[in-house]
Amino acid sequence: MFKTFKFTRKVENILMLLFTAIFLVYISLSPDMNIDSLKGVLIIGVTVGIIYGLVAVGISLIYTGLDVVNFSHGEFFMIGAFTGLTVYNFLVDGELIYAIFPEAYGVVGYVIGLFFAFVLMGLFGVLIERVFLRPLTKKGGGYTVAGMGIIICGFGLSVILQNVAYLIWNPTAHPFHADLGLPINIAGITLPMTYLWMLVTGFVVAGALYFFLNKTKMGLGVRAVAFSKDISNLVGINVPLYISIIFGIACALAGIAGTLVGPTYQVVVYMGYIILLKAFASAVVGGFGSLPGAIVGGFTVGLFETACSFFISGSHKDAYAFLLMVVVLLIKPTGFFGVQVKMKA
Amino acid sequence: MLKINGLISGYGSVQILNGANMKVEAQSIVALLGGNGTGKSTILKACSGLIRSWRGSISFNGEEIQNNPPHKIVEKGLVQVTQGKDVFPAMSVIENLRLGGFVLNSKKKLEDNLQKVFNYFPRLDERKNQLAATLSGGELQMLCIGRGLMSNPKMIMLDEPSAALAPQIVLDIFKNINRIRKDGLTVLVVEQNVRMALLLADYGYVIKDGVIKVEGDSKKLMYDDTVKDSYLGGGGTTANV
Repeated sequence: MFKTFKFTRKVENILMLLFTAIFLVYISLSPDMNIDSLKGVLIIGVTVGIIYGLVAVGISLIYTGLDVVNFSHGEFFMIGAFTGLTVYNFLVDGELIYAIFPEAYGVVGYVIGLFFAFVLMGLFGVLIERVFLRPLTKKGGGYTVAGMGIIICGFGLSVILQNVAYLIWNPTAHPFHADLGLPINIAGITLPMTYLWMLVTGFVVAGALYFFLNKTKMGLGVRAVAFSKDISNLVGINVPLYISIIFGIACALAGIAGTLVGPTYQVVVYMGYIILLKAFASAVVGGFGSLPGAIVGGFTVGLFETACSFFISGSHKDAYAFLLMVVVLLIKPTGFFGVQVKMKA
Repeated sequence: MLKINGLISGYGSVQILNGANMKVEAQSIVALLGGNGTGKSTILKACSGLIRSWRGSISFNGEEIQNNPPHKIVEKGLVQVTQGKDVFPAMSVIENLRLGGFVLNSKKKLEDNLQKVFNYFPRLDERKNQLAATLSGGELQMLCIGRGLMSNPKMIMLDEPSAALAPQIVLDIFKNINRIRKDGLTVLVVEQNVRMALLLADYGYVIKDGVIKVEGDSKKLMYDDTVKDSYLGGGGTTANV
């Protein structure tokens, strides 16, 4: 009855270009279109995009390393934001930081907050993996076989972590008043410092991750375990340890992303849910399981979302990421960096 | 060097090995022969810790190693090279080799071993910056053996190094295995290519239904008709090269 047909790679690319062209023409016809708004959309889109990218890299890392999608990843983002906020508030409420850094206390406090969010969330991720996920693999077959149980466990963890955060920090929205200095002017656009921090820190972290994976011995091990646990065992890599490391790194990335987002919006218990879905969309758009793809997908989703909500309608902001995901899945199911499944990592 | 005593093991609840006994002397080449599904690869997997040994013992250099984690076994100097040319296709040849030396701590040793492997297999030197996915079957097998040698092992276990390769390349690889032994390593080779394996090896074991049925000097095994008929499947056409 139904003829199954498949686009060739070339047709896929042409259709993607066509979609992009139609989209660009459509938004350029918008009455709000001018050079200033375009610049603003670009900067904000890239900023939001790098955050989506960082969380998406974590999801992709866990997917390549553990062969499961971690549905509790948004909660690590949320708890990371709370950790950063708590550390920052603790420092700023004290006297010490004013005595040592009277001028730049906000920046110093924020950097320490970022650092703690990164390290503590990494350790917390390792703990969660060891205590809640590892026992599920004990029946044999490792992570590959325990897949469905771990996915369900991820949903459960998500609820539990939200409730734990609810108990510790209560459900009200916490404003994150990071004193980072006055907004600066870049190319005619006034940009709050929090955006600049997101942009710079995001790129630095992504660069550091690239360096770690490609230039260090541990990074080589992570890539090896991500590709095949059996071969990694045979070359003498401590695979259970490396699975914990992969989970830890992914959660640390989510934690730092949370602290970066905090000052721009607010820190709420429910903030992890929507970022998880959008990061998921980013990972799919970039090609699931591909790390450069996750970053590029993050930029694409960020830019698309910002452009649509600015030029088309801001009230449907959260729907655009999924619109893009559906379009990409229809036209180019492998995503931008779609690789053969066997070539992941 | 390696001593397997009454080994019982399997996958899940399926028992494959029913009490296998084997012994591999230092600096020898031992061939483990048998048809499909007789438990050849299972023995190797149990030795390298990929699957659990249910009962029995495996000792390496006088040390019991059964059910140790795989990376500990590699550190002790026992390395398995799997069947089916398992490499990391998305990494370059040199990265694959560096992974082989993952347990080494010094950079200098790693470079030395790299030179040693390139000495055995000059083809890998020519292609060191290519992705492993672009190599031919023979080159992949060289890469697998080379990766196994990178960690300075005392003993290497090869799982069907001749599978799906042209005779000329098989000959080349077997010559290199002989060189590896001459340089002081112990080799356990699992093969379906009986004639080639027995030509190479000093001693042979024939496995059937998870137990060792026949063992002996390889020269003797080669002309042993019962071996050919009963365990290696059919008459004089056993040797497929």
